[in-house]
Amino acid sequence: MSALDSISTRLAYTEDQALLRDEARRMLATRSSIEAVRALHPDPVGDDPAVWSELAQLGWLGLLASEEHGGAGLGAVEFAILAEEAGRTLLPTPLLAHVLAAKVVDVGGSAAQRATWLPPLAAGGLRASWAHVEVGGTWRVDDTTVEEEGGRLHGTKAFVWAAETADVFCLPVRVDGEVRIALVRRDAVGLHVQGEAGLDRTRRQGRIVLDGAAPEALLERPASEVEAAILPLAWTALAAESVGGATAALDLTAAYAATREQFGKPIGAFQAIKHPLVNVLIATEQARSLVYAAACAIDQGNDDAVLLARMAKAGSADAYGFATSRAIQFHGGFGFTEDCDAHLYRRRALASRPALGDPDHHRARIADQILGARAP
Amino acid sequence: MAQEEIFTQEALDSFRAEVRRWVEQNRPPDPGFVLPQTMLSVTTDDQFTYLRDWQAKVYDAGFVGVEWPVEYGGGGRPRGYQRVVDQEMSRAGVPFLINLVGLAWAGPVILAYGTEAQKQRFIMKALRADEIWCQGFSEPSAGSDLASLQTRAVRNGDEWAVSGHKVWTSLGRYAHQMILLARTDPDAQKHAGISFFLAPMKIEGIEVAPLTKLTGEGGFNQIFFDDARFPAERLLGQEGQGWEIALATLGFERGASDGAAGGRSDVYSYDIGALIELARETVRDGRPALEDPSVRDRIARFATEAVAMRFSRLRTRIPGLVADRPMALPLMAKVESSEHLQRLADYGCELQGYAGSLTKGDPAAVDEGEWQRFYLNTYSMTIAGGTSEIVRNILGEKVLGLPKTR
Ligand SMILES: Cc1cc2nc3c(=O)[nH]c(=O)nc-3n(C[C@H](O)[C@H](O)[C@H](O)COP(=O)(O)OP(=O)(O)OC[C@H]3O[C@@H](n4cnc5c(N)ncnc54)[C@H](O)[C@@H]3O)c2cc1C
Repeated sequence: MSALDSISTRLAYTEDQALLRDEARRMLATRSSIEAVRALHPDPVGDDPAVWSELAQLGWLGLLASEEHGGAGLGAVEFAILAEEAGRTLLPTPLLAHVLAAKVVDVGGSAAQRATWLPPLAAGGLRASWAHVEVGGTWRVDDTTVEEEGGRLHGTKAFVWAAETADVFCLPVRVDGEVRIALVRRDAVGLHVQGEAGLDRTRRQGRIVLDGAAPEALLERPASEVEAAILPLAWTALAAESVGGATAALDLTAAYAATREQFGKPIGAFQAIKHPLVNVLIATEQARSLVYAAACAIDQGNDDAVLLARMAKAGSADAYGFATSRAIQFHGGFGFTEDCDAHLYRRRALASRPALGDPDHHRARIADQILGARAP
Repeated sequence: MAQEEIFTQEALDSFRAEVRRWVEQNRPPDPGFVLPQTMLSVTTDDQFTYLRDWQAKVYDAGFVGVEWPVEYGGGGRPRGYQRVVDQEMSRAGVPFLINLVGLAWAGPVILAYGTEAQKQRFIMKALRADEIWCQGFSEPSAGSDLASLQTRAVRNGDEWAVSGHKVWTSLGRYAHQMILLARTDPDAQKHAGISFFLAPMKIEGIEVAPLTKLTGEGGFNQIFFDDARFPAERLLGQEGQGWEIALATLGFERGASDGAAGGRSDVYSYDIGALIELARETVRDGRPALEDPSVRDRIARFATEAVAMRFSRLRTRIPGLVADRPMALPLMAKVESSEHLQRLADYGCELQGYAGSLTKGDPAAVDEGEWQRFYLNTYSMTIAGGTSEIVRNILGEKVLGLPKTR
């Protein structure tokens, strides 16, 4: 594998990490069962405040934040574990959005800014989200069209997770020709939130219109530096969440195929069902290997992190799409109903695919990294 | 406490350096004839002798059976060392080890099920390629449904007498020993009536008839047994235990079980690195194919698969990371790696454009037609040792809990 020979990341998984996974799985199975998730569909807020408090008590809302500021100071592997478990149950609580936003503050803030903002974020008293996507779908911080002028912000961000429930947004803004990360409160005068009609009702999103709102702070470090630290983590977490979801969709479908009978036998005995499900299994397990490779690379501070995280994001999006498409198909007419859980996962997979780059995007960058950029 | 590799990285690194140095200094000379791509296609006596000498040399240097017990001629080192040797050999592009059946399938089951006398008798000779092994499982009407095999073994006093017909027997023409499945109790239930033998090949009553493969090479054979007799102590395990041992053998053959004494069983020298080189050399629309966005996308897909396979292999060693489905990764490795290489080889041929329609012998063939030979050869991996379809059945049933297909 000449071009990939230099990958040197070591896989590792501690007892504590295994315990964290078990605890997360137990907790989410009882507090965020798929029935509970469905029950939140008509809810205007879309997530259960009691679950938020419980996540706060477990220390998971401050998972990545520094210990000196009340965080758990844990790493990408732990984040991947929680994301994977959250993905299995389609947890509507905006855990990923919040943990990533807190990490933005941790990475980008001055000592004073971190001391001010991190403790309430880690404790969960303040809910945050990362608002970095443009209306047209570009999502790099350098793409931002939000402008700062005389201490006021003007512009619009879209596809913001938890837009209607976050207390504070981290968003990239242009200040004197430089891009910085601003912290803006949702209740700031001149900030308007419009919920979007999302395909995936288990992850609420919306638009933020800034019409002269004043930021609470501008993080000290340049936005591009913050983004460089955040992206591999965010790709890996989304990939982990997708692997969790793909696994749940596979389990659901395999269980159905083992019991639903036609032509006098369970449909899972037909290879037209069995073999595609095995292909789903292979795609999902391959993606899971990439997720934990990427997470270990991040925690080891290894240069492989970007490449592996892109591979994980691309591979998991494909696997999730495949798993959930087969989930609907193999439930037959029942799969076409609102009552069957298959479409819930299918919707999440469709909505997550474009987030922070779709598979085509990542493969183009993977190619640049292993082959060198194309000649102009 | 991290559940990491048990060996220390430094010791392994210095071992790697030692292997690399040795390989550089002992690279065998160009044979002056075309070598087969794997042990499955050894066709001529020249090829056979050359490859057998090479394995003996590697063994004498201490790089075959590196992890196997010292008392049977192995190196007695911890797990992880053999893989280093395999990787270095593959990297250096030196020939493969011819006695793959002995090193990777027969040897491990003899270590697991054999008597002390059997281990003493067979292991070291297999490691050094003093005795070549072949596998007599498949029959004309028992392939995927292996347990329906009909070759009979009858016990007469201190001897077994075997009659029947085996097919697709790789290396059958050169082998000294065979792992043989035969029915010893025709009245017992299908799986229960089978026994496992370590049968001598160079005896009366055994006739070998070569077959020609789709690449035009030999390697495969039919084996006819007509009252072939060998001593009773050639039985491995108990009478009727054959199916259990056969499954263990297939576990090794499919790469689902660790423990081979070397042999780069799954390594053709064509991989993602070779594909990238090919794309660099190939011109498309007046530019290197490597610059074409659709080629780049395909390469990125293959690269992603290759890296995922690599980390899947590493992940099998970390119990916490495979806790939910412990059997998934070992069972899926064969399907995934063989089909990955098949797609990759196919794409290599496609990238060549019109030149992809040429083969060995044409001066304009790319890389002397090796990609085409490689592509045809990849079907050995998707068919032998349990076809992809059969392995998918097993995965569906053992891992996903789906009902049996009948
Ligand atoms: C290169 C090579 C080397 C080999 N070397 C050896 C050797 O050294 N020793 C040895 O004993 N054997 C050897 N084999 C034989 C190999 O193990 C068999 O070819 C293999 O098990 C398939 O059996 P078959 O050829 O009878 O095909 P069949 O079993 O007839 O299969 C034909 C097709 O039907 C499919 N099929 C069969 N049953 C099912 C099912 N239940 N569900 C879905 N699909 C099914 C198969 O997947 C395949 O696509 C070798 C084969 C090859 C290609």
